[in-house]
Amino acid sequence: MTFTVLKSIKVLNPKTYFNDISDVVICNDKIFSICKDFKTEVSHQDRQINIYDCNGLTMSPGLIDMRVNIGKTENLTAIQKIAAENGITSMVILPNQTPKLNNPSIIDHIKRQSETPNLTKVNIYGAATKDDHGLEMSEIGLMSEMGAIGFTNGNKSIKNSLVMRRLMSYAAMINRPIIQHAEDEDLSGLNKASTTLINGEMNEGEISTRLGLIGIPSCAEVIIVERDIRLAKLTGASYHVAHISTRDSINVIREAKKIGLKVTCDTAPPYFALNETSLLSYNTAFKLSPPLRKEDDRLAVIEGIQDGTIDAIASDHRARSKDTKAQPFSAASVGASGIETLFLMTLELVHKKIIDLNKAISLLTINPANILKMEKPSLEKDGLADFIIFDENCNDVINQNNLKTSPTPFDRRKIKGKILGTFINGQVAHINQILKNKIIK
Amino acid sequence: MNELKKNKNKGFFSSPIKLSSNHLLAIEGMEKSEIQKLIERADYFANLDRHTNTKVLQGYVVLNVFFENSTRTRVSFELAARRLGAEVINISLINSSIKKGESLLDTASTLNAMRPDLLIVRHPHSGAPLLFADYLNCSIINAGDGRHEHPTQALLDALTIKRRVGYLEGLKISICGDIANSRVARSNIHLLTTMGAEVRCVAPSTLMPSNLENLGVKCFSNMKMGIKDADVVMLLRLQNERMTGTENPSEREYFKFFGLDEAKLALANPNAVIMHPGPMNRGVEIASALADDTNRSLIKTQVEMGVAVRMSIIEALNHTKNNMMKN
Repeated sequence: MTFTVLKSIKVLNPKTYFNDISDVVICNDKIFSICKDFKTEVSHQDRQINIYDCNGLTMSPGLIDMRVNIGKTENLTAIQKIAAENGITSMVILPNQTPKLNNPSIIDHIKRQSETPNLTKVNIYGAATKDDHGLEMSEIGLMSEMGAIGFTNGNKSIKNSLVMRRLMSYAAMINRPIIQHAEDEDLSGLNKASTTLINGEMNEGEISTRLGLIGIPSCAEVIIVERDIRLAKLTGASYHVAHISTRDSINVIREAKKIGLKVTCDTAPPYFALNETSLLSYNTAFKLSPPLRKEDDRLAVIEGIQDGTIDAIASDHRARSKDTKAQPFSAASVGASGIETLFLMTLELVHKKIIDLNKAISLLTINPANILKMEKPSLEKDGLADFIIFDENCNDVINQNNLKTSPTPFDRRKIKGKILGTFINGQVAHINQILKNKIIK
Repeated sequence: MNELKKNKNKGFFSSPIKLSSNHLLAIEGMEKSEIQKLIERADYFANLDRHTNTKVLQGYVVLNVFFENSTRTRVSFELAARRLGAEVINISLINSSIKKGESLLDTASTLNAMRPDLLIVRHPHSGAPLLFADYLNCSIINAGDGRHEHPTQALLDALTIKRRVGYLEGLKISICGDIANSRVARSNIHLLTTMGAEVRCVAPSTLMPSNLENLGVKCFSNMKMGIKDADVVMLLRLQNERMTGTENPSEREYFKFFGLDEAKLALANPNAVIMHPGPMNRGVEIASALADDTNRSLIKTQVEMGVAVRMSIIEALNHTKNNMMKN
C-alpha cells in the first residue's frame, strides 16, 4: 500500500467550512486522514510513503467546470489533460459538437470513452431538442439514464416557449436541470430566418457605433431569462442560466431566488474581468457569446458573485483556431479558450479582495456540484481524493505563447497563483516541478 | 476669416504632407492639423490645370483591391494615382479567390508579395483594412470598410464645403439618412467635429445607431428640426443591402418624412448647400429637382474633389514612408 502525505498544507473544504493547516494522507483513491501530525496515522516501517512538504501551499477539492465546448478540431482526451493541468477534475461538455450529443447511445459512448483514471472526469449535457430548429424534445429521460446531467441547446437559446415549457416540466420529473444560453435570437440578429444575414457581433452601444459593428442589445439576454423564470415557476423546474452577463438579468435572478424558485446561474471570467472597450482595436480574441458588455454590467456581475446571486464560475471554454480568428471581426469565429485561465482569473477576485478564497473555491467546486446534483466535492476522511494543490501568491503573467489552447482574452495579464498539482481518484493527474522538488526523501 | 485668406492664397501648402502614420485607416483619432494640411494640399491639386505635370510618383505601384462593388471610388483612386504618375492595378475580389476558399490574410499576403507601395482596400467588413495594416508592410488606404469608416470621402466632403463656403469651423452641418449603416456618416462625424463644425444627425430612430450623441453630435428624428438653419445638408443613401427589411415601412413613407424636398429645405439657411456621397436614390432621400439644382447641389463637385483629395493622400503616404525610411 502506498501513502501520499501532504505535510503542513492549508486545507480548504467548502462543504464543512474547514480551513486549517494539517497533514493530509492519501491512500488509493481516498483521503485516508486529515490530521495534525501524519506520524500518528501511518508509520514508515511497513509502507511506502511519499511525503511532500506543502508548507505555504493550499489544497482544495478539484474544480468542476460546468461549461466546456469541445470544438470540431479538438480532441476530448487532449482537453481532459489540459483541464487536469489547470486544476479541473471534472468538466461538463456541451452537446453542440459534431456529432450532436442528442441521443442515449452517444452519451454512453462518450462517458465510456472518456473514463481514464487520472484524467479529468467528463460529464455531459444532452441536447434538449433533437435538432437546431428546437421544436422536438430529445430523449432526455434515456439520456439521463446514460449519465447526462442536464439538458441544454448549448450555444443556442431554447427559443420556442412551448418547447421550453414542456422541457422544463419533463426535466423536473426526472430531476435534471435545464441550462439556457439566454439570448433572443431575433434581437441579436442570429435568427437565420431573416432575409438578409445580419449577425449581431458585439454589445450594442457607443463602442459598436464607433466600430461600425452590429450591436446585440443587452436586453436580448433578460428577455429570455424573464420568460424562462415564469416557465420555471409554472413547472417547478430547476433552471440554470449559463454565462450571465448583464445587470438586468442578474437583478431578475436575484428576485426569482428571493421567492424561492429553483433558479441558478453562472458566469465566466471574461464577464467579470473585461468589458466592451477591449474590442476597440477589433481584436477577435474578444469576440465572445454573449458579447462583452458595458462596465456597469461587469460591475453587476461582480456584485452578483459577491451576494450569491451568481452561483458558479465556469470557463465557458470555446477554443478557436488562429485561422478562424485572424479574420475581419465580422468574419471571425466566436469564442475563446478558458480552461487554462479559469482558476487564475477566479483567484484574481480574491487578490482584488472582491471575495475570499473560500468563496472562490465554492464557486468552482461545491456550487456547480449542487446545481448539477453531482456528488458534493469534499476533503474529509474517506472522501474521494479529487483535489488540487496550489500556491495562491506566486506571481505570473498569462502568455498566449505558453498556453495550449487559443485565443485567450487575458493575454499578458499579470496574475497571482499557480496550480502545482492535480489528483484525480488519488492518482497524480498533473504535478508541477515545484511540487516535485518538495518531496522529502 | 483667417481660413478664408489662407484658402485664397492658392497653394499655401504646396509641398507634400508628412503624416503621423503610413496608413490612412480612419478619421477617428486624426489630428486637426493633419486633416487641415491634407485638405489644403488637395485644394492646391484641385486648382491645378488638369494638364499640369504632377507625375512625381514614377514607378510607384498602387493596387486597388475592391472586395465590394464600386465605380466612383475605384475610378477616383485610379485617376488620382495615375495623375501622380503611379502604376495602378485594379483587382476586383468580389468573386475570385474568396470563393475558392482562400482566407483574407492569404489573399492579402499574396498581393503583398508582389511588393506594391500602396494597397487601397474596400471591404464589406468593418475593420478589415486594420487587419491588412497589421500584417502587411505596404501602406494601406481604407476605401470604405463595412459600416466603419470611409475616410477619403469625409476629406473630399470637407474640401468641397471649404471651397464653397470658405471654412468649416462653426458651420451647421446636418447629416441625414441611414446613419446606422453608413461609413460615410461616421467619417464625416469625426472629421467635422474635429474641425469645429456643429454636426447634427437626422435619421428615423430605426436607423440611428445607439449612443451616437457620445460622438459629439446632436441627434434628431424630426428632419425639419434637424435641418433648421443648417448651412450644409448632407444626404445619405438608404443602404437596403445592409438592412433586414424591418427598418422602414416603405420608400414613399421615408421620402415623406426624411427625403429632402423644397419645403424642408426652406427651413435651412437660405444659402444652404446640398451634398450626397452617391449613388443617389432620386425620390427616396432627395427630390430629383433638388439634386440637379446647380446653385445648391454640390454633388458633382464632390466627385471632382475626390480625385484631388486622393492625390493629396497618396502623395502624403509616399512622402511619409520615405521620411520613415530615412530615419
